[in-house]
Amino acid sequence: MEKVSSRLRLLALLVAMMFVALSTRLWFLQVLATERFQEFAQDQSIRFVPIDALRGRILDADGDVIVGNRMSLQVRVNRAEMGDDTEAVLQHLSEVLDIKVERLVAILRTNRYFQRQPVPVAEFVSEQTAFFIREHPELFPPDIVQVEPTSVRDYPYVRLAAHSLGYVGLIEEDQYRKLEGDGYGLNASIGRAGLEVVYERSLRGEEGTERFVVNADGEVIRPLGETPPTDGHDIVLAMDLEIQQIVEEELVDGLERSRSIFDDDTRRNLAANGGAVVVMNPNTGGIVAMASWPDYDPRWYAQGLTQEQRRYLFRSPTKPSSNRATQFTLSPGSAFKPFVALSALRRGVASLSRSYYCPAEYYAPGDESGAVFHNAVPFSQGYLSISSALKVSCDTIFYEWGWQFYNRWTSDQFGAEPFQKDLRGFGFSRQTRVDLPSESQGVLYGAADAADNPDLFFAGQWQPGGDILISIGSSYVTATPLQLATAYSAIANGGKLCRPHLADRIVSPDGEVVKDIRGHCRSLGYPKRWIQSIRAALTRVTSEEGGTAYYAFAGFPHSQIAVAGKTGTAARPEGDFQDTSWFAAMVPANNPQYVVIVMAEQGGFGSQTAAPIVRRIIERIYGIDSTSRPIVTGGTD
Amino acid sequence: MDMVAGRVWADERRPTRHVDGALLGVTVVLVVAGLFLLYSATSETLRADGLDPFSRVQRQAVTAVLGMVLMLLVASFDYRFLKVYAGFIYAGLLTALVLVRIPGLGSTDATGTAQRWFEIAGFQVTPSEFMKLGLIVMLATLLSELRVSIPSGQDLVRLIGVAVVPIALVFLQPDLGTAITLVAITVGMLVVAGTRPLHLGVLAVTSVVLILLAFQVGAIKEYQVDRLTTLFDPENSSESARYNLEQSLIAVGSGGLFGRGFLGGSQTSLDYVPEQHTDFIFTVVGEEFGFLGAIFVLGLYALLLWRAIRIAFLSKDPFGTYVAAGIASMFAIQMFVNVGMVVGIMPITGIPLPFLSYGGSSMLATFLAVGVLETVHMRRFK
Repeated sequence: MEKVSSRLRLLALLVAMMFVALSTRLWFLQVLATERFQEFAQDQSIRFVPIDALRGRILDADGDVIVGNRMSLQVRVNRAEMGDDTEAVLQHLSEVLDIKVERLVAILRTNRYFQRQPVPVAEFVSEQTAFFIREHPELFPPDIVQVEPTSVRDYPYVRLAAHSLGYVGLIEEDQYRKLEGDGYGLNASIGRAGLEVVYERSLRGEEGTERFVVNADGEVIRPLGETPPTDGHDIVLAMDLEIQQIVEEELVDGLERSRSIFDDDTRRNLAANGGAVVVMNPNTGGIVAMASWPDYDPRWYAQGLTQEQRRYLFRSPTKPSSNRATQFTLSPGSAFKPFVALSALRRGVASLSRSYYCPAEYYAPGDESGAVFHNAVPFSQGYLSISSALKVSCDTIFYEWGWQFYNRWTSDQFGAEPFQKDLRGFGFSRQTRVDLPSESQGVLYGAADAADNPDLFFAGQWQPGGDILISIGSSYVTATPLQLATAYSAIANGGKLCRPHLADRIVSPDGEVVKDIRGHCRSLGYPKRWIQSIRAALTRVTSEEGGTAYYAFAGFPHSQIAVAGKTGTAARPEGDFQDTSWFAAMVPANNPQYVVIVMAEQGGFGSQTAAPIVRRIIERIYGIDSTSRPIVTGGTD
Repeated sequence: MDMVAGRVWADERRPTRHVDGALLGVTVVLVVAGLFLLYSATSETLRADGLDPFSRVQRQAVTAVLGMVLMLLVASFDYRFLKVYAGFIYAGLLTALVLVRIPGLGSTDATGTAQRWFEIAGFQVTPSEFMKLGLIVMLATLLSELRVSIPSGQDLVRLIGVAVVPIALVFLQPDLGTAITLVAITVGMLVVAGTRPLHLGVLAVTSVVLILLAFQVGAIKEYQVDRLTTLFDPENSSESARYNLEQSLIAVGSGGLFGRGFLGGSQTSLDYVPEQHTDFIFTVVGEEFGFLGAIFVLGLYALLLWRAIRIAFLSKDPFGTYVAAGIASMFAIQMFVNVGMVVGIMPITGIPLPFLSYGGSSMLATFLAVGVLETVHMRRFK
């Protein structure tokens, strides 16, 4: 029996080892690794269902809703679940939604979204259609086709201010990767252009969540509570809805009119293929109206762009998706002269009390290359004050000042490039920091740029011709219409540069002002007297015979409302384009309420296309019944 | 006086004075604990289905009471009667194992993959559960009657022959778990009987060859292979097998040191662990009572096994020693494979956890085994 007991001990030992093995493993699972398993248990048993916050609205200055929200029954297709059913499901969808199968395929082929992200294929589906889809899971498997009530952007004025407002779309794959932590889900909407992007954080609000306990079959066992959503803030714009409408209509009409004008230089009608308008309150920088044409319908984006729309927006040479007011930079031509004159006054290059000779041609002193700089008109305009030089837009007087700047800079009388410094002070070649994305800043070249990039400049350095051409707003300077509006606002308000802004303030859903965006202005340091005399000179442009916009404003009641304005006509260096037509106006001239800038691409002379548009805009803003249509002659710069 | 054996005992050796109280105590504690665990595992689902949340617990409790009666009945008989009737018991159970395979007599489970019980008066009677005890008694009888103290090669062939028949029948049902238990019982008893290491080696090699052969001819069903390989190759095993293991680990692991409290486990109450009331009952211990609870339950099993092995020691009669050793082997392998499966160190095989798993036949067989241990203990003086 001794032997039996030793063998029983062996059995006991084996059993003991079993307990050691099990206890060790339990220690590992339940003490060392327990946190991980607790997370797993929680992850699979608690389901979070997001509750969308209502996106804030965009209102005009009077509180009219420009962008609101409305409920839409949205049909979404989950591509990841399609598999073998693809063809059948698309066929059924095509029939019930009345969308061609090819179009559905095109919408679904997009690679903007994650594969597992349901892609919206139709908005504003009728109740009956939604009911039909839900009632026929055999045709529309619920894991593939979903019909969900979704809050979408509503545009009561359709295309109005489309470029400024921007649009909202389903979050894209790369954005989702970046923003996943900020509460953006796979189905999140996000601002994708314009104000919707800039004020995304305010507009969006905060998503709420409902929490449920679910069992292994995914059935909801009981609710665990909810965090209600916080709706987004409203954005109140400086925009005046009425003026915005006027501006858009007049821009389209004016460009249309110009297309019937024959251009002597190019021997064909003006193309007038695009343009922009900015109306600004010069005292605050508030943008009262901003238009860019050609335009588009922001609802296209919500419904998914068709092939045709995509081609129109992104591939047509007229670039309808771009906001010309902030993204197109073109030489301003003579519309630039008032700023050159102010710099010349400040640096002692010119004086208000002197007169200057305006020859037909100008040769830079000491230049042996034989370069000739022509006046806008092929004859001498005699001796002119600064005021008169602006009125008739004499080029040769400004050439001389440009050369003076170059000459004095080489002798280093003022230190480095005072000319460029003054002009940059007005905001040229700087972003205005307007509340819109992807703003262009234009250029304003000088000696420093030539030193940095000698390859781009003639003979590898800054030439007198550079400053000479800048003095008439040509070649070495480009600007957006918004930059010009900002700079003219400084002349209009007595010398302050204000940061332009579409939005005035951000308001919470209960009406409290969360943020005031107005009032970022700083003085540029020009004596009021100079500014006033420049404005007085520009009043002569529209009201005195010989002024470059005199004919464009013929019959305008100047005694009732004085308009200070400046034409601009600028050649485009690249390509076979007709001249850019500019007009900048301040109204009323003695105490301006509005600065109006019109830029018309391939619009010919400033007086041909831009000035008449500005005139019509002013007439309609002030309710002037204009029986006499603007007289368009051969046109003057 | 012992009524049944008709023998007269000295007063201090009267069987009723030698009941193993610890063994009885641990049995009762385990069974009662099992009812609580079963309630936790089943009440939510039953309530969700509109049924009485206590229905499973009640059924199990009735079985447990029946089991205790049987246990006491067995304990009151002299275990040596078993030796007399060993052949009948063995043959009877073998017959049952054959009959259960006949369509119409035996019942298949819902999936139709296995046929292992009789449906009698609403109760499922699973002969293989009782075969475990039958084999123990049969082998103990043969071993105790050997002329030499160590079984010879010839003896071994006979013993193995006796074991292989039920093992093969159970395996074909198919019931891999019970087959493994029967193998473990046989090996355990042969070791205690002093089988030569060389013979054990030959036996092991033969078994491996036979198992490989079984795989080769496809006698092992795919789902069994799946469940077995999940542990070693989680990537390639079937979804359901992997899910089973994952959920089991999450349940046990999330219990932590102290557990989430009775009825407080989300894995348990929300039905995440399949087969939780039967083979995976230990996950309830792990999740709701934590590491401390799990160690406590393992401690109860340690106590149980200690008492069983002690009884094998104490028995003056080789038959009693072998029976007790066989029962110890049976409990040990079931406890180890079941809990090991739950914590992911053993492959998934359908082995019930004695006393805790829901199931009538398993429960009755377990009580019978304890009854046998008690009678051996009570009558250990010859």
